[in-house]
Amino acid sequence: MNKLIEKFCGLLAAGALFAIMALTFFDVGGRKILSDSIPGSLELTELLMVVVIFAALPLVSLRGEHIVFDSLDHYLADSVRKTQRAIMQGICAVMLLALGYLMWQTGDQFLETGETTAQLKILKAPFMYGMAVLCVLAGLIHLRFAFKPSVAPDDGEGVTL
Amino acid sequence: MTEALIGFAAIFVLALMRLPLAFAMGLVGIVGIGLTRGWMPALASTAQVVHETGFAYTLSVIPLFILMGNFVAKAGLAHELFHAAYSFIGHLRGGLAHATIAACAGFGAICGSSIATAATMSKVAYPSMKKLGYSDSLSTGVIAAGGTLGIMIPPSTIMVIYGIVTETNIGKLFAAGVIPGIMTALLLMVAVIFMTFLDPKHAPAGEKSTWSQRWAALRGIWGVLLLVIVVLGGIYGGVFTATEGAGIGAAGAFLFALARRRLTVQATLEVLVESARTTAMLFTLLIAATIFANFVNFTSMPNDLKEWITHLGLSPLMVVAAMMVIYVVLGTVMEELTMVLLTIPLFFPIVVALGFDPVWFGVLIVMVIQIGLISPPVGMNLFVLNTLLPKVGLGNIFRGTWPFVFMQIVALGILLAVPSLSLWLPSFMN
Repeated sequence: MNKLIEKFCGLLAAGALFAIMALTFFDVGGRKILSDSIPGSLELTELLMVVVIFAALPLVSLRGEHIVFDSLDHYLADSVRKTQRAIMQGICAVMLLALGYLMWQTGDQFLETGETTAQLKILKAPFMYGMAVLCVLAGLIHLRFAFKPSVAPDDGEGVTL
Repeated sequence: MTEALIGFAAIFVLALMRLPLAFAMGLVGIVGIGLTRGWMPALASTAQVVHETGFAYTLSVIPLFILMGNFVAKAGLAHELFHAAYSFIGHLRGGLAHATIAACAGFGAICGSSIATAATMSKVAYPSMKKLGYSDSLSTGVIAAGGTLGIMIPPSTIMVIYGIVTETNIGKLFAAGVIPGIMTALLLMVAVIFMTFLDPKHAPAGEKSTWSQRWAALRGIWGVLLLVIVVLGGIYGGVFTATEGAGIGAAGAFLFALARRRLTVQATLEVLVESARTTAMLFTLLIAATIFANFVNFTSMPNDLKEWITHLGLSPLMVVAAMMVIYVVLGTVMEELTMVLLTIPLFFPIVVALGFDPVWFGVLIVMVIQIGLISPPVGMNLFVLNTLLPKVGLGNIFRGTWPFVFMQIVALGILLAVPSLSLWLPSFMN
């Protein structure tokens, strides 16, 4: 299952990121050299950004890469630490599932009002639904870790700076 | 004011209980707005923040600079940089350590991450220093400290985030980091001189290169120079925006790595996925920090703090100096990005109200992050080196880093006292 998520979300996020890079490169190159930009490139970048962020979100959860303050770990008994981790994974799960629900509702609103991008008139609702599904997927990963701590990864320090 | 204080306390308690910091900030922000303004506004503003942060063209600068750094690391340009620096100064006492700092500074000009710079340099510089008999503490200390130059010398991921959160011009922030970055590199070299003077066995001299070897080594870094000139020159010269520069830089680094045969399909995918993961993690933090900042802004805390500080009658510079002391102390135990995102809603309005330039404050913020990244016991660069060089041991790494922490604090003092060091270059930009 993990491999399937890694593959699906990884390919989605990687493809979108590569597309943003190529789009920016050709758009800027075209504008500066040929005075001709790619129509709607800004909007496409915005939509692709959503794909990059939310497709990679389950991967961050899967690898435990959210930044965690773990300095108290040494002072806690093993059993306390396990319970604490399970509770915290549970909170993450509830928050992501709730966010998924919220995004789905926003998607419904966007569909009702027919919200589109300004230039290319691409419907935004499918992207909101996609965000919702991927938030739920990340939430389910945390939920699984909450009930089965043995499969949870060691928390990473993140790879931010 | 009380609501915001409770909010801060709640974040610290939740974080101590091991809730990821992004989730702690988001949860407290939503609950805070819910209790003070109502639950419907809380949910509506959360949905809006997520939507606006996700669908933001200008924020694509973040993944693109991260991608550029990761492709650059993959391209192996660090070897050429180190070789070039070594050929000029490797024969001096502590020459390899000086060369490491110079190479880190050069690498920092094409990579915006401290950790990526330190990790890359640990593979390039540490084996050479080990071979020549350098002490482990000096070798790892210099790599950890040199790595932090990655975020001061533009491009810089943290400057981009600061620019976005505070709506400060990213191009100006980049220009502002150049002189402080070079100054910090020189101060780190002074630390090496000091360490090798006290204990010459720390770092023996390497072989002297001939001038023809030096020119040959310099020719090897044309790729780095080209990327720097195109990306930073383009942004600085107003040819393109930071976002466009990031896209050109990422594509350029990709083409370099491809031309140097460092990229297979699998390796490219790995770089892309790693960059996307970092992006997702950063955006989770950004979204949560925005929700929390919205809550803090709803309370009277920012105004109360401003009034309180005005009544104290301290000189404006003393106020900023006090903030820096808080940052340096917090940085020893906290993850630096979170520390900044948490405190910006409080400190930034005060700094602006006191009449200071946000660009200057941004440079100071980067400097305290640099210090935090190598300050024991919680310094990210130190942990990264400990993971990459497990035989050295955390104790050795901690020991080697103190002189550099001291020098970076000196650098912070200089930047605080002489704002023009940061503001002179941006003053030429429109």
